[in-house]
Amino acid sequence: MDINGKVAIVTGGASGLGQATVEAYVAKGAKVAIFDLNEERANTVIADLGADKVAFWSVNVADEQAVKDAVAEVVEKFGALHICNNFAGIGSASKTLGKNGPFPIEQWQPVIDINLTGTFNVSRFAAEQMAKNEPINDDGGRGVIINTASVAAYEGQVGQVAYSATKGGVVGMTLPMARDLASYGVRVNTIVPGLIHTPLFDMLPEPAYKSLEASVVYPHRLGKSTEIAHLAVFMAENDYLNGECIRLDGAIRMQPR
Amino acid sequence: MEMQDKIAVVTGGASGLGRSTVKRFVANGMKCAIFDMNEEKGNALVADLGDSVIFQQVNVTDEDSVKAGIDATLSAFGAIHVNCNFAGIGNAVRTMGKNGPFPLDAFKMVVDVNLIGTFNTLRLCAEQMSKNEPFTKDGGRGAIVNTASVAAYEGQIGQAAYSASKGGVVGMTLPIARDLAVLGIRVNTIVPGLIATPLMMGGAEELTPEIWEFLKPLGSQVLYPQRLGDPDEIAHMAQFIVENDYLNGECLRMDGGIRMQPK
Repeated sequence: MDINGKVAIVTGGASGLGQATVEAYVAKGAKVAIFDLNEERANTVIADLGADKVAFWSVNVADEQAVKDAVAEVVEKFGALHICNNFAGIGSASKTLGKNGPFPIEQWQPVIDINLTGTFNVSRFAAEQMAKNEPINDDGGRGVIINTASVAAYEGQVGQVAYSATKGGVVGMTLPMARDLASYGVRVNTIVPGLIHTPLFDMLPEPAYKSLEASVVYPHRLGKSTEIAHLAVFMAENDYLNGECIRLDGAIRMQPR
Repeated sequence: MEMQDKIAVVTGGASGLGRSTVKRFVANGMKCAIFDMNEEKGNALVADLGDSVIFQQVNVTDEDSVKAGIDATLSAFGAIHVNCNFAGIGNAVRTMGKNGPFPLDAFKMVVDVNLIGTFNTLRLCAEQMSKNEPFTKDGGRGAIVNTASVAAYEGQIGQAAYSASKGGVVGMTLPIARDLAVLGIRVNTIVPGLIATPLMMGGAEELTPEIWEFLKPLGSQVLYPQRLGDPDEIAHMAQFIVENDYLNGECLRMDGGIRMQPK
């Protein structure tokens, strides 16, 4: 797919991995809709890239009606939808059983809602719009959906049981979603990030940060959000990549703690 | 990694996936040493691409042959930064079939070229890469790109040898990445599905209308898009792998979503 002239939704696009991807898509000539809860940050991105190229919708990805309405409005504003990146996600740290007793169930549902259900919710409405496109290539292509999992899907650490369940779910639904959407010409792939530097890590004390860096096989550092964006661009562009989950993690394999 | 002015050794570079990758690398400012058994095709590619490439007739299973190829690469271009291993063969023999058990020498030959040939080449290239001055802030000295196959995961009837060889390539990706981390060399593996190459087209290089008709039923097995992959799509993945400095120890399927059935 040639990204030039296409329209993308990027959830979580106001910061971190999402923001870097918004920037990469705009640099390639796409128009981008940021779905996020942080209006202030989104407006900074828009001021940077241009209001003709990027727009913001305040969307809770787990809210069915909000997503349905927002996706329809994106198509109204930009004319179509070709690419959907799901970066919106939250973390969680709670043990199955800890000093304070079993995992508090009220902490479980929000992670599932945003990371897994939210990803699915946005994807299905995005696919609905993509299905209306005229084919954009000789393969009958109409769009591409790119989800975000985590190496925690495969090697979740102590305290990550909820987070890993959601990311494992994102990995698990990649192929069936690709199979569902094959007849519409919509490809589905998933980015599996390792440790990527985002503003969240700025708050970590230096010894802790250095220890994280040392745990990466090579290069000995956290990943850059621009490197994730580079993978997102590759996934959008390569028409034969489908149903696949790709780790971008400096070869790390997460240890229990 | 910036591709401009980097030097790649590409085994199997005279045809199919290797050839497409050589072309893409050269278009991005790299120089390539084509290691292949097929002199005619190798020389044709040199005639096509000029000074940016050399051809060396190399048998990847033969230590001296690979060393000679590497020496020639160093003489021509001065260093090695990237090694892509595309040289490979296939066969179709049942573990136990009408003709009896799978002949062992046929099994060993596939493993020799695909698995041992890959390892033979990459270790000798890594030796040269280790001599490079780092060319990234991460102390990067090189990148190795191997080729497996979806047969590593879903080998079909008749593919015991091929799947063993490709499963081995997948299996060694992470330990080799771990070995070479201290030298700043990344190691990743492309896992192609059904791609339109001589391996799939009975030796033919170009997708003629007759071959296209023959291959169409295969294309309909692919999830989406319903066709064989274009070798340049694999080359695009090779480029991505070389460029992205955080990709390491990973195996990447490029297969239109196919999951191979038994036959």
